[in-house]
Amino acid sequence: MNVTLEKSFPLPGSAETAWQLLCDIEAVAGCMPGARITERIDEQRFKGLVSVKFGPASLSFRGEIELKSIDATSRTLVLSGKGTDSTGSSGASMDLTARIEAVDGYNCTLIGNSTISVSGKAATFGGRMMGSVADQVLKQFADHFGARVEQMQGSQVAFTDQPGSEGAGPIAARTTPPTAVHRVLPKATAVVQQPAELNALSLLWGMIRDGFKSLFGTYRR
Amino acid sequence: MGDMSDLKEREDKLQGMGTSMLRKEDAKFIRGQGNYVDDIKMPGMLFGALVRSPYAHARIKGIDKSKALAAPGVVAVLTADDLKPVNLHWMPTVGGDVQAVLADQKVHFQMQEVAMVIATDRYAAADGAALVEVDYEELPAIVDPKKALLPDAPVLREDIADKNDLTHGPRTHPNHIFTWEAGNKDATDNAFKNAEIVVREEILNPRVHPCPLETCGCVSSFDKASGNLTVYVSTQIPHLFRTVLAMLSGIAESKIRVVGGDIGGGFGNKVPIYPGYVVATVASIVTGVPIKWIESRMENIATSSFARDYHGVGELAADKNGVIKALRFSALADHGAFNSHVSATKFPAGLFSICTGSYAIPSAYCRVDAVFTNKAPGGVAYRCSLRVTEAIYLIERMIDVLAQKLNIDKAEIRRRNFVKADQFPFTTPFGWTLDSGDYHTALDKVLKAVDYDGLRKEQAAKRADLNCPTLMGIGLSTFTEIVGAGPTAVCDILGIGLFDSCEIRVHPTGGVIARLGTMTQGQGHATTYSQIIATELGLPASDIVVEEGDTDKSPYGAGTWGSRSTPVSGAATAQAARKIKAKAKQIAAHLLEVAEGDLEWEIDRFKVKGNVSQFKTMKEICMVSHTGNLPAGMEQGLNAVAYYDPPNLTYPFGAYLCVVDIDKHTGETTVRRFYALDDCGTRINPMVIEGQIHGGLTEAFAVAMGQQVPFDENGNHLGNTLMDYFLPTAVETPHWETDHTVTPCPHHPLGAKGVAESPHVGGIPCFSNAVVDAFAHLGVTHMDMPHNAYRVWQQCNQLGVNQR
Repeated sequence: MNVTLEKSFPLPGSAETAWQLLCDIEAVAGCMPGARITERIDEQRFKGLVSVKFGPASLSFRGEIELKSIDATSRTLVLSGKGTDSTGSSGASMDLTARIEAVDGYNCTLIGNSTISVSGKAATFGGRMMGSVADQVLKQFADHFGARVEQMQGSQVAFTDQPGSEGAGPIAARTTPPTAVHRVLPKATAVVQQPAELNALSLLWGMIRDGFKSLFGTYRR
Repeated sequence: MGDMSDLKEREDKLQGMGTSMLRKEDAKFIRGQGNYVDDIKMPGMLFGALVRSPYAHARIKGIDKSKALAAPGVVAVLTADDLKPVNLHWMPTVGGDVQAVLADQKVHFQMQEVAMVIATDRYAAADGAALVEVDYEELPAIVDPKKALLPDAPVLREDIADKNDLTHGPRTHPNHIFTWEAGNKDATDNAFKNAEIVVREEILNPRVHPCPLETCGCVSSFDKASGNLTVYVSTQIPHLFRTVLAMLSGIAESKIRVVGGDIGGGFGNKVPIYPGYVVATVASIVTGVPIKWIESRMENIATSSFARDYHGVGELAADKNGVIKALRFSALADHGAFNSHVSATKFPAGLFSICTGSYAIPSAYCRVDAVFTNKAPGGVAYRCSLRVTEAIYLIERMIDVLAQKLNIDKAEIRRRNFVKADQFPFTTPFGWTLDSGDYHTALDKVLKAVDYDGLRKEQAAKRADLNCPTLMGIGLSTFTEIVGAGPTAVCDILGIGLFDSCEIRVHPTGGVIARLGTMTQGQGHATTYSQIIATELGLPASDIVVEEGDTDKSPYGAGTWGSRSTPVSGAATAQAARKIKAKAKQIAAHLLEVAEGDLEWEIDRFKVKGNVSQFKTMKEICMVSHTGNLPAGMEQGLNAVAYYDPPNLTYPFGAYLCVVDIDKHTGETTVRRFYALDDCGTRINPMVIEGQIHGGLTEAFAVAMGQQVPFDENGNHLGNTLMDYFLPTAVETPHWETDHTVTPCPHHPLGAKGVAESPHVGGIPCFSNAVVDAFAHLGVTHMDMPHNAYRVWQQCNQLGVNQR
């Protein structure tokens, strides 16, 4: 089951700020709930793990991700990832290109272009929802990302403090459906706690993880 | 001559052929006291769970068992490398191919067997399976068979890439299995060139699955001390199963015992030898303890024998009056990753060449091209194991297409092309000799019963009224089936002829045990065979015990599939009984001190012609046969074994009519009426026949209206749970009206033909014809199955008939 998405999100800040943030791995990490780096293979390549809990079942995803390029001139970041859940019953992979385009001095656009592919039980049970799932996950990422940019621009942002929201508490314990965390900002503390490598990785794993939650949430109905 | 009431009383007591005796099996089943393979518990028994591939096509770079082996309860983890030393990592298929028992370096379809975890209980085995880490390198998959033979198509079967023949002729591409053709191509092509009318349609028989209530499974038990192997397995072919096990394992066939037990439905799904059986057996041989392996529902739908997946092209040439001059059918057959399609050796495309159906067609040619794709292997299954469904679906759809083209009534065009009653036995251009039939009578009886003309008038009125919220469709199917494989001269599997057998032992007090080479899966064999013997021997059916499925007890036979039990084993039963009856007659003559010629048979006794008081009942003879008071030189006992090699297959037929009402706005199709007339020759138990027809029609309804095994572009299975896969219950199933005519089979000892497949083969095109007929006035000539609400709505929407 392959899904290709091209999404662009307006950001309340300058392209320069946004690109800074995109390169500021630490900060971007906070925009994507999820995943844990288990190993850094080299400059570009990481190994990671994400645990998903849906109802009685919990799924642990192992995967590898590669930062293909970070190009400051075109403000473009390219990465690809591939993972298999530890029961060996599902696989997933993604190629992502994230780009910042200037609109004016105070606004810019984040353009995400990704191709996601799932196989095994993931496709059997939820392949038909992959489009909307990935769509929603990208949107969620963008919301958080936008808020960060806005914050960097020094404008006021009202934080919604949500106990057990992303960053806080073990990921495995999260049962809030993706839509609920929509537009909810992570705790500032959570952001700085995130390991630097998490930005790219958590984007990928966030997608797969939330993907699974919705898939199996539906499946169990 | 006893008075009539006395005769009737004696006759009723036997409950012989023609009576609707209640099924002997049901007392056990309705109490939930059946004994299925998963009910078997043996001391020290371990459980196997299979590790399966999430990818449809991938290279295996490594398998790490360590975590699994460390898990509590896990005893062993078997992979292809562990089976190599005993050379069982691959096994030959009856299709002339080989199949991976456990994936060797590559996986070729999603959920292919990669490893088996053996553990102390089912849960530990499943947990262990989840801990086996397999490193895959995903490869591009072929899902669409039309792309399998493209020059740049990925090569699926590297293991046989260099083989240019898989026993069915030259291969033209690494993904090509065989090309099979029959008939007279030149004569047919000429007929098409000179034809007044030619019609052509692309017609798909989509990939479906029979989905029996009980999934597949086995308990393999190897006794290291005696060297005996016992396999309890849910199989339709216990004897062939044992033969294959002997060939694979090298264990003497005499030391292998295969026990069928009770089976919760087969429909062809339980004919193949599945990798799980082989691995469980190897595991038992290695560990010396019994191993149980039972499929989950997902495993069953996703990996064990699918049905159909025939991408057909139908062409008919005819004159302006709709008289068919020639038929040209072809099909692209998607056999999945291995050619394990079970069929008679000489018929790689089964009996597809029955595709001339009930019609006298002078010239015909058909061709089947089989290819590999990244899907599960099989193709044998679904209440018609030999491609008859595909063939009959094509001809019954195409004759409607021709009727629409010529604007001839769909019943009339059939009448014009039927083989006439006085033309039987009729040999088709493909060489099949249709044994007997009366197609005109059958069709006319149905049309009269449903007031066909009235229905057509109603349809015309509704078509004229644009405000009518529904579309009305009338479907016809006048099919001819080919069942009862088969004559050993043409039919064999692994070289073993498809005869069948029956052994009868009569005991002193008249109790009878009959043992057969077939295997009941719900068809009511214990009842039907008893009734045959009851009538033949004049002993009550209630005292006759039928045993099947235990290879240590029953004589050799090819099992139950392709509606072959009554045509082949039923005949063997009659012949064994007649051997016994002949001996009984000698004894009677001896006891009555008359010549055999002076005796006549009456229900349950031999009596002296013209002397009412002089007779010997079978019960008396049974006792005497175990004494010394016998004709000189005669041995004691009343036992016989018969092996029956049918001179021809049997050709049951039927005329079906279906009326549907389709909601223009939702696409929901309501089956208003389904009238099914079947002719299976002599009817042994009318109630059992009716039950078989109800089941076959329900499975036809399932296939036509909702079943489908879908895949995405990467070969992911998108419908292997009962959430997605349509299994009709009493809620969805329409009401069936059944009827019959009786045209006995001339070459069967009882005049009987097979029946269980007929309603499936004849029912599917009947539903499709009804749905397409609802759109016929709008120029629609074909719609592919399944006709679920969404697909039918799309058709309504496309035609704009749902505009308010």
